[in-house]
Amino acid sequence: MEGVKKGDFSAEDFMSATIDRIKNIDDKVHAFLQINSDAVEQARQIDKKLKLGEKIGACFGMPISIKDNICIKNSKTTCASKMLENFIAPYDATVISKLKEQDAVFVGKANMDEFAMGLTTEFSAYGPSRNPWNTDYVPGGSSGGSAVSVSAFECVASLGSDTGGSVRNPASFCSTVGYKPTYGLISRYGLISYANSIEQIGPITRTVKDTAFLLNIISGLDANDNTTIDNGSQDYLSEIDSGIEGRKIGIVKEMMGEGIDSSVLSATNDAVSRLEGLGAVCENVSIDMVKYSVAAYYTITATEAGSNLARYDNLRYGYDFPVEGFEFNSYISKARAKFGPEVIRRMILGGFVPSSGHAGKYFLKALKVKSKLTKEVNEAFKKYDYLIAPTVPILPFKIGEKINDPVSLFLVDINTVMSNLSGIPSISIPFAMSNGLPIGMQMMAKHLDDKSLLQAAKALENTVHLPEVSI
Amino acid sequence: MVTEEEIEQVAKLMKIDVHDHKEFVEKVHDMINYFDILDSAGVEDEEIIMKDLPLSSLREDKHIPYDDKLIEKLNNYKGSYVRAPKMI
Amino acid sequence: MTKIGLEIHCQLTKLESKLFCSCKANYREHEINSNICPVCMGLPGTLPRINQKAIEKATLIAMALNCSTPEKIAFFRKNYFYPDLPKNFQITQLNIYGDTSVGGSGMVTIGDKKIRISRIQLEEDPGRLIYEGSSSKNQITLVDYNRAGTPLVEIVTEPDFENPKQVREFLNILSDLLENLDVSDPSLEGAMRADANVSIEGGNKVEIKNIGSFHDLEKAVHFEITRQESLHSRDIPIIQETRHWDDKRKITISSRSKEEELDYRYFLESDIPWIRIGKEIHEKLKLEMPESISSKKERYVSKYGIPDQVANVLSSDKFYSDLFEKSHTENNAKEIANIITTDLMGLVDTREKREQSKLQPSHLNDLADSIRSGKLTRTSAKNALYEIVKSGNELSQVISELDLGNVSDENELLNIISQVISEEPQAVEQAKSNPQTVNFLVGKVMQKTKGKADPKLTLDLLKKELG
Repeated sequence: MEGVKKGDFSAEDFMSATIDRIKNIDDKVHAFLQINSDAVEQARQIDKKLKLGEKIGACFGMPISIKDNICIKNSKTTCASKMLENFIAPYDATVISKLKEQDAVFVGKANMDEFAMGLTTEFSAYGPSRNPWNTDYVPGGSSGGSAVSVSAFECVASLGSDTGGSVRNPASFCSTVGYKPTYGLISRYGLISYANSIEQIGPITRTVKDTAFLLNIISGLDANDNTTIDNGSQDYLSEIDSGIEGRKIGIVKEMMGEGIDSSVLSATNDAVSRLEGLGAVCENVSIDMVKYSVAAYYTITATEAGSNLARYDNLRYGYDFPVEGFEFNSYISKARAKFGPEVIRRMILGGFVPSSGHAGKYFLKALKVKSKLTKEVNEAFKKYDYLIAPTVPILPFKIGEKINDPVSLFLVDINTVMSNLSGIPSISIPFAMSNGLPIGMQMMAKHLDDKSLLQAAKALENTVHLPEVSI
Repeated sequence: MVTEEEIEQVAKLMKIDVHDHKEFVEKVHDMINYFDILDSAGVEDEEIIMKDLPLSSLREDKHIPYDDKLIEKLNNYKGSYVRAPKMI
Repeated sequence: MTKIGLEIHCQLTKLESKLFCSCKANYREHEINSNICPVCMGLPGTLPRINQKAIEKATLIAMALNCSTPEKIAFFRKNYFYPDLPKNFQITQLNIYGDTSVGGSGMVTIGDKKIRISRIQLEEDPGRLIYEGSSSKNQITLVDYNRAGTPLVEIVTEPDFENPKQVREFLNILSDLLENLDVSDPSLEGAMRADANVSIEGGNKVEIKNIGSFHDLEKAVHFEITRQESLHSRDIPIIQETRHWDDKRKITISSRSKEEELDYRYFLESDIPWIRIGKEIHEKLKLEMPESISSKKERYVSKYGIPDQVANVLSSDKFYSDLFEKSHTENNAKEIANIITTDLMGLVDTREKREQSKLQPSHLNDLADSIRSGKLTRTSAKNALYEIVKSGNELSQVISELDLGNVSDENELLNIISQVISEEPQAVEQAKSNPQTVNFLVGKVMQKTKGKADPKLTLDLLKKELG
């Protein structure tokens, strides 16, 4: 943006180059479900305004990709599902309006796991995305397309959504920054719901500063979303270089446990050393409820998903399937068979767990675990300023490797779901490489401490020098 | 133990045509088994914390008509009605 | 021992907007599917925004029914599939995590019978279905979502009613109460609906749904009691079930048992945080609470000496009591009460008539004063009222235009009296012998003067003439 502001190059040129780049490599990585054919023209309009000395928004025509579960007016919004094949959103999500106001240009809709249910983007009904660091490998999920597009220089930044790690996980696997804000910091109006009690829209960017920049634009109280909170118009960019001298950091024991890859473990130890080198004090901390967090997470999300996805009965919008000749129950059941297998699995689960037949025992228990976990997390933050752990305990794996083992897939989430369940902010920054595969480091702060978290992340980021992707 | 019958009932409840109930039995069974871990969490006495808002912060009671002809943008309508299959 | 309980749904038609969005609460004037927006259509990505006033009005209702009102309220999802439900779940209230619905246990008295209220909850109304197509093969359901999201207050009673008569009394009292609170207009079509549950001799409870009107409710309850008593007398057990009221055949029919299978998977609606209704709000609402019907009635009787029956009618109808409150003075209160409950009633007996009426409180004042001063006869006043309701013109204008002024000129009257005497010789003879029958002649004079003759003067003059 500095470049466009100063006149080094025009917004249009930058956008053209971006579109060219996408055309060149997206076949290989499949980050995009749709590309905005008007992007270059929109950038041109911004250049025009600039020349005329008119006021330009803070984004200066920056190309941004948007996960396809966020509504852009008059744009197809499919959630990577066949159920919403023809759904054209008639309104803009709040984050979209805010970015439009700041003259951002949306370069396309990013691929994802269908309805955000998944960890690898393999569950997209339109084909998986591929990790740009090695296209045989998964890019992570569910915001896989977002992370890929940023990592592979197909755009400058992206907005994804994070329910149990869906922004941080692919950010880690693709070596980008991924941010999940405090619950309620960013409006969910226009984010197609999967698990509304814990999910948030989150930016995926190349640097921590970029994330802070975007956060300034898209965060804040929204009358359209009763769950948003007042962040007092924080400026997340100012003082971002404050550093972490004297801060106390807790290393979450339960996130370094059995099954952690050795290179991930050594990367984490490395991160701790560097932080100590910067003047922070690091020590181990135990958060007992983490052991139960994945089970609680999947119970809660299955229940909420089962309800949030009930509206897709193809009566008001969806895909072409006429109602004549059918009886209600059989039509609906047939229409909904268009969901992919993972979504169907979760819905069946979602029918089981809160049901009175099983005495709702799972759901209520999960809610109690959530409460207790939140208490333990808050306790930890009485002693520590930040918590640290690797974003994912294992390295990126090959496409197809884990797709048939749901429980093993569950456990990939174990380091990330805690922040969603307790509502605290959490960030993943690119930290290391192992055999050409990225390892991300995760830092967390207490509720509404987003500004401070970005400072800590920036401090760690300063110590990291990683190569650019070669694709 | 999750039975095929239970899967069938739940599929009916969630209104999804599931062709191969057997396939789901195993997967769902595994997942539900995993959830049993919640029993050892020792949270029986835990209270569920909820965030609350004051009444005064809520939306004012005002009629603001939605301008765009929304019904025309959604599919499956006849004239102005939304069409649904017959109810028994 | 017959036990009947009710579940009454009342739309908050006096609100401006729906429960979770800013579309109009009263959808009745809108063309099909034109009172909708992304939120009430449950479009992907939309979120509910709860209406502050709806919660206040619902709390007001709870207070008026003597219900407990919690500090915090919460909303829940009731999950089921139906074409009139855009999200395929209804946002409603439950009490599974303590008392979180807008009203807890309360009480209403009808006569000497106490009816306990179980709870009061705030929820959204679904859309409306229309069944089209005659041949079963081509039948389609048409859906109009104008109503979807309209604020509903559900009032659930304990099974304290013993007979259909009590049910009817209760519903009347409730309608009047809700209208008096200015939260709903019960005369609007569909504004108040009710389901009932019936059990006899401590047997199983049967629920009756799909009852179109309060009139039908009484019939349905009556039918169901009869049905159960008939089974009972033949020692046939009564199954616990849900039955539908068939309006055409006027009977209750067993619903498909699939209703029982329904598992609503209730859980908290996380898109709406819990709402804190503090003591301050409760105090504010107490002050805002309109005077109760019974209090009004008492005041009318004790302060103005208005007869009991008249006070009843006056106080229980908000339209009348509003008129009365705005028009009366200490002196003419009784007269105005009289005018309203006798002459006016027939002129404004429907909602349309009331909406079109041009009558103002000042008119009533003028009318009452004119009657009391003798300027207008009762009959003339009645005629004047008819004209005023139609045109809204001032009383003086109406009197001159319709020539309603009293005929009190002695000579004019004597003229007419002589006419009558000459026309009715038989009646004259009768009146001479039996003074009580002179009223017939008075009547004739009234006829000739189109009711404008001053009755007292006429009587005096007649008596004189007859000797």
